[in-house]
Amino acid sequence: MSTALAITKLQLRILRRDPAFLVIMFGMPLVIMPILRQTVGLSLAAEGFEGANGAELAVPGQSVVFGFFVAGSVGFSVFREHGWKTWDRLRTSAASPISLLAGFAIPWIIIHVLYQIVLLAVGGLLFGLRFDVSIIADLAVIVSFSFAAISIMLFSVASFRTVNQHQAIVNLGAMVMGGLGGALVPLEQLPGWAQAVAPITPTYWVMQGHRAVFLEDGGLADVATSVAVLCAFGIVFAGFGARRFRSDETKEFFA
Amino acid sequence: MLVAKDIEKAYGDVVALRGADLSVAAGEVVALLGRNGAGKSTLLSIIAGLRPPDAGSVEIHGIDALADPVAASQHLGIAPQDTGVYRVLTVRENLEFFGELAGLKATRAARAEVVAEQLGLTDLLDRKASALSGGEVRRLHTGCALVHAPELLMLDEPTVGADVATRNQLIEAVRALAADGAAVIYTTHYLPEVTQLGADIVIIDDGRILARGTQAELEADHAISGLAVEVTADFDRARLDTFRPVDLGGGRLRLDGAATMAGVLEAAGDQTSSILSVERLQADLESVFLAVTGRQLDTEPEASR
Repeated sequence: MSTALAITKLQLRILRRDPAFLVIMFGMPLVIMPILRQTVGLSLAAEGFEGANGAELAVPGQSVVFGFFVAGSVGFSVFREHGWKTWDRLRTSAASPISLLAGFAIPWIIIHVLYQIVLLAVGGLLFGLRFDVSIIADLAVIVSFSFAAISIMLFSVASFRTVNQHQAIVNLGAMVMGGLGGALVPLEQLPGWAQAVAPITPTYWVMQGHRAVFLEDGGLADVATSVAVLCAFGIVFAGFGARRFRSDETKEFFA
Repeated sequence: MLVAKDIEKAYGDVVALRGADLSVAAGEVVALLGRNGAGKSTLLSIIAGLRPPDAGSVEIHGIDALADPVAASQHLGIAPQDTGVYRVLTVRENLEFFGELAGLKATRAARAEVVAEQLGLTDLLDRKASALSGGEVRRLHTGCALVHAPELLMLDEPTVGADVATRNQLIEAVRALAADGAAVIYTTHYLPEVTQLGADIVIIDDGRILARGTQAELEADHAISGLAVEVTADFDRARLDTFRPVDLGGGRLRLDGAATMAGVLEAAGDQTSSILSVERLQADLESVFLAVTGRQLDTEPEASR
């Protein structure tokens, strides 16, 4: 695993050199959160959550939507190696294909978890999210979401040839799944068909977990189903991704 | 150090290698000489584990490289033809990263400095690769392949686009590595480099290894005498059939050893004004290559894909 560690450190070093993407990914949701909070608050009041100010879903919802964009970076990093002509150099090193994948996945899982934590903390402080809840339970939701999101993106890398195709999957994850899963507006505001298909999206289960913690004062037992489903998403996509992944496949960065 | 046998590889209908054999011993430098598309890069990429062969075997340091590529790669360093370095990182960071990837720990920083010294990069160690010149990037690219002092080093066209100073530094670094016991495979289109390296020469054409030996041995066995004639497009080439002409491209013909200046002019008859130049072929690597393959070596490498 020393090769995976070397690649992990390389990814973090490259990110330190150019952190603009992460800075933007922090800034944008903080702009959108207050725009959505009032609408979400009204919806929650209609559901009977007296005293809810909307931050309970608006803040985690944005961390989920933008979390997909951040997760997409794991794929972008792999495609970028092809563009930089360094991919073959990695392949001829002592790194096995699994170590290669791990070297790219590990740093982005760490970043993804930290991203959600910081965004929830800052967004919460700015927009009135309650913190007297089960932090452990929400952490379990966050970590399992990171695992699922990064696995989906690795599956995308294994399945698609160009970075543009991968980017389409990232957008699909963020906007379509974010919308269907209740991360943009509360699920109760969606049409019936959308509510019916929502459980096939990982975003639905992340939002159910956050909802249990921030709206219903739930603990670990209350988020167990969400965590289990998200882990299942992660295992399935990581499994299919590892199976489909061919390190000798030519990938196109920006043509 | 390396024994590759009966390597075959086809890309669809295009056959790249037809039973190529290549062996390199520790301390030996082998220059792989061939035209664009002869199979050089494919052979290197198969040895490096980047592509699987259709048939054949590759053994590196006694390890079956096809069965256990990860174990074999620990003895290998390769600088592919396309330059691949991390331009957002410094020269030092690039060298240390590839050292770490190869398993270097405590000696990583020291090795980076040694390689930088060998390649004339010491003053640039803390400069970002994006701020280097083309020749400097090329040296860094090569340095990343030899930072872990591999037992088998493969350099694919390492001097493409490099200035004279860069070429000399690279060649000296290769010679030093070989003197320390490394086996080196070196592909190039610049024949003077082959002479400078003092390498064993392997001529590959159309996916086959056709000849191998030192420059002196190849010149003794294969160098051809004869004339090279340059003619205009309207020249009736059939007039020179007696001298078994071989088309060298660009209006140039090679005539066999029986050809003399007077004989050529006589055969040309009333078309002597269509003969632009006549020169005697020297016994050199170029004529060896011509004799072995029947074709001239390209003067430039293939454009990177």
